[in-house]
Amino acid sequence: MINFGFSINRPRTIDIDRNNLRKSNEIIREMPELQACIGCGSCTATCTAGNLTEFNFRKVHTLVRRGEYQGAYEEMNKCMLCGKCRLVCPRGINTRGIVMLIKRKLGDF
Amino acid sequence: MTFFAKFCIPFIIGETVLFTVLAIKYFTWLRDLPKKDWKLIITNFFSLRSISALGEVISESLLHRRIFKVNPRLGYMHMSLAFGWFLLIFVGFLETIAYLGLRWIPLQGHVFFKYFVPLNGISDHIPAFDFTMDLLLLFVLSGVAMAWFKRIRSRALGMKKTTKHTFFDRIALSALWFIFPLRLIAESVTTSMYGGGSFLTGSIGNALSNILSINTLTHIYEPAWWLYSLALGTFFIAMPFSRYMHIFTEIPLIFLRHYKLQPEAKEKSYDNFEVEACSRCGICIDPCQLQSQLGINDVQSVYFLRDRRYNMLQQKIANNCLMCGRCEQICPVGINLNTLRLNSRSSMRNIPHEGRYNYLRGVDKSFGAGKVGYFAGCMTLLTPNTLNAMRSIFEAAHEQVWWADKDGGVCCGRPLMLSGEVDSAQKMIDYNKSLFAKHQISTLVTSCPICLKVFREEYQLEGIEILHHSEYILRLIKQGRLKIGYQHDATFTYHDPCELGRGSGIYNEPRAVIEAVGKLLEPTHNRKNALCCGSSVANTAISDAQQLTIATKVASELEATGAQAIVTACPLCKKAITRGTQQRVVDLSEIVAQNIKQ
Ligand code: SF4
Ligand code: SF4
Ligand code: SF4
Ligand code: SF4
Repeated sequence: MINFGFSINRPRTIDIDRNNLRKSNEIIREMPELQACIGCGSCTATCTAGNLTEFNFRKVHTLVRRGEYQGAYEEMNKCMLCGKCRLVCPRGINTRGIVMLIKRKLGDF
Repeated sequence: MTFFAKFCIPFIIGETVLFTVLAIKYFTWLRDLPKKDWKLIITNFFSLRSISALGEVISESLLHRRIFKVNPRLGYMHMSLAFGWFLLIFVGFLETIAYLGLRWIPLQGHVFFKYFVPLNGISDHIPAFDFTMDLLLLFVLSGVAMAWFKRIRSRALGMKKTTKHTFFDRIALSALWFIFPLRLIAESVTTSMYGGGSFLTGSIGNALSNILSINTLTHIYEPAWWLYSLALGTFFIAMPFSRYMHIFTEIPLIFLRHYKLQPEAKEKSYDNFEVEACSRCGICIDPCQLQSQLGINDVQSVYFLRDRRYNMLQQKIANNCLMCGRCEQICPVGINLNTLRLNSRSSMRNIPHEGRYNYLRGVDKSFGAGKVGYFAGCMTLLTPNTLNAMRSIFEAAHEQVWWADKDGGVCCGRPLMLSGEVDSAQKMIDYNKSLFAKHQISTLVTSCPICLKVFREEYQLEGIEILHHSEYILRLIKQGRLKIGYQHDATFTYHDPCELGRGSGIYNEPRAVIEAVGKLLEPTHNRKNALCCGSSVANTAISDAQQLTIATKVASELEATGAQAIVTACPLCKKAITRGTQQRVVDLSEIVAQNIKQ
């Protein structure tokens, strides 16, 4: 394969009817602003941790909202809470608050 | 001689409860101090530190000098209560000695001395003591009157908001308000029957004996003393569970502080002294911008400490604080409010994750060398103008620079620490430390005050000098390595970043740099009293709109100076203030870079 310097995700389907949305609903209830996300990816583009690893903040919080929690806590743990994403988010989402909330809901603390 | 009457019982119960609870509290707090703290106490105990601590106890616990500085009327209120009461006890003690010689008398004998004088058949009064005691009582009563007045109209004493009370506070407070008026009544009734007293109790006593028959007076005599004793007893029982615990706690706290004990990033026993030394004076409420600009009324330091003390602290309260330090700066007890908030956050969520940040191993692709390391910081990477300006400055000064994080660095760790994840932050600290060591730098320059603070306080970078770019630029100018053309018609105003000013004590360097470029116009709140831009990384609770509200307010104050540009020295402040104004907002380095004389 030619190396284009980037990778793309494998195609997949998310069945929202089958996923358990309880945690997702809890998260949205606590921080409804997450629903304002337009998926622009600015947060991921600027991310300090994403610059060093495969961590993709937009992907993780989008998956969590869809009820896909597998590995989300471990992924979120890569975040350094530096706060760059909050400064670039065009929707003014409190992204650091989201990181901490997702970890609180899905992790062990 | 007898020194007991039935009415003394409430007082005796009160004093017993008070001293028992105090003894238990102090014993457990001291017992649980970490070894390191005990070492400090032992080595410093027999030194001049103990004497200077004693001096501070007098000036703070009794005279309340610092409250005076913040607000003279409030200072007088606290002083008249504390110092006045102390003098009443002390002079009262001398009085008993003068009457009875040096001998042991139970505590109630001292406190209710006026009652026991006629009871023990003493009839020769010493007028000097009568006069002094009346004067002191008047002094205390004036403070009580002010306290009553403050409850009704807090603004009258120069405070916009006054503290909301807990249950024990209410009991203790009501008892305290009544202690001295009741004492006045009891002593006046006594003088009306047995003589003595001076201009206050004496005159009231005279008046009473003119109005009331001797029969009535005998009837109210005992009840008056009962009420006084009840008020005292109630106050003593409620005291160790209420805000008034600060009266005693502040004294050991001052000593421990002089022995160099401090709160740390993790909770420890010493924190109890700081937490309970808070008098809930409420002075910390007014400066809080979350209160004044956003109307959030339950997160300020006074409430945070109260909740923490009674074990009812909620995460959302602990998290909702900018850690701007405006309250810490003004707190008359000098409590380390930021550190306490930090270690509360730490115990509320710091469960280290073993594998966390293991990815840091192997991410280092850095190259290049230079004796000066420049760590821009995450936020500076988002303000490329600052980066470019720094590049021009380094070039103009012919400095050899190693750019530490240009192509993706690791965060300094402070944002994570501020969220209470102290152990995890350590992994970043270790990473960056080894990076600095690898490149053998002797000076570390950063443009971000958040990074600066953690570099200075947590990194322990032996042999590396840590500078904020304002300090660094000023040094270049002073050494003549950087020549700047002064602009005669340029005016600037300066916003003190919290982490740089109150956080790191750097106020003069940025100002000196700005004055090398043009005229500096100061805003209303500056230096120690500077406002927070509202976007602090320490706060993960307020929304974007709320951040903007604060930023707009701060910006309007800066605009009001009429300066052509708003200058700051923190990338985060710059971003925040830019959102709140149409005015030009620049980093310090930008105005320097634009005016370099080749
Ligand atoms: S706070 Fe976390 S998610 Fe946001 S940019 Fe920094 S590392 Fe990435
Ligand atoms: S920057 Fe904001 S709007 Fe864009 S993907 Fe991230 S969270 Fe969503
Ligand atoms: S924290 Fe300080 S300023 Fe605030 S109420 Fe307590 S003693 Fe007063
Ligand atoms: S540090 Fe600032 S935001 Fe936090 S309570 Fe004090 S004044 Fe308010």
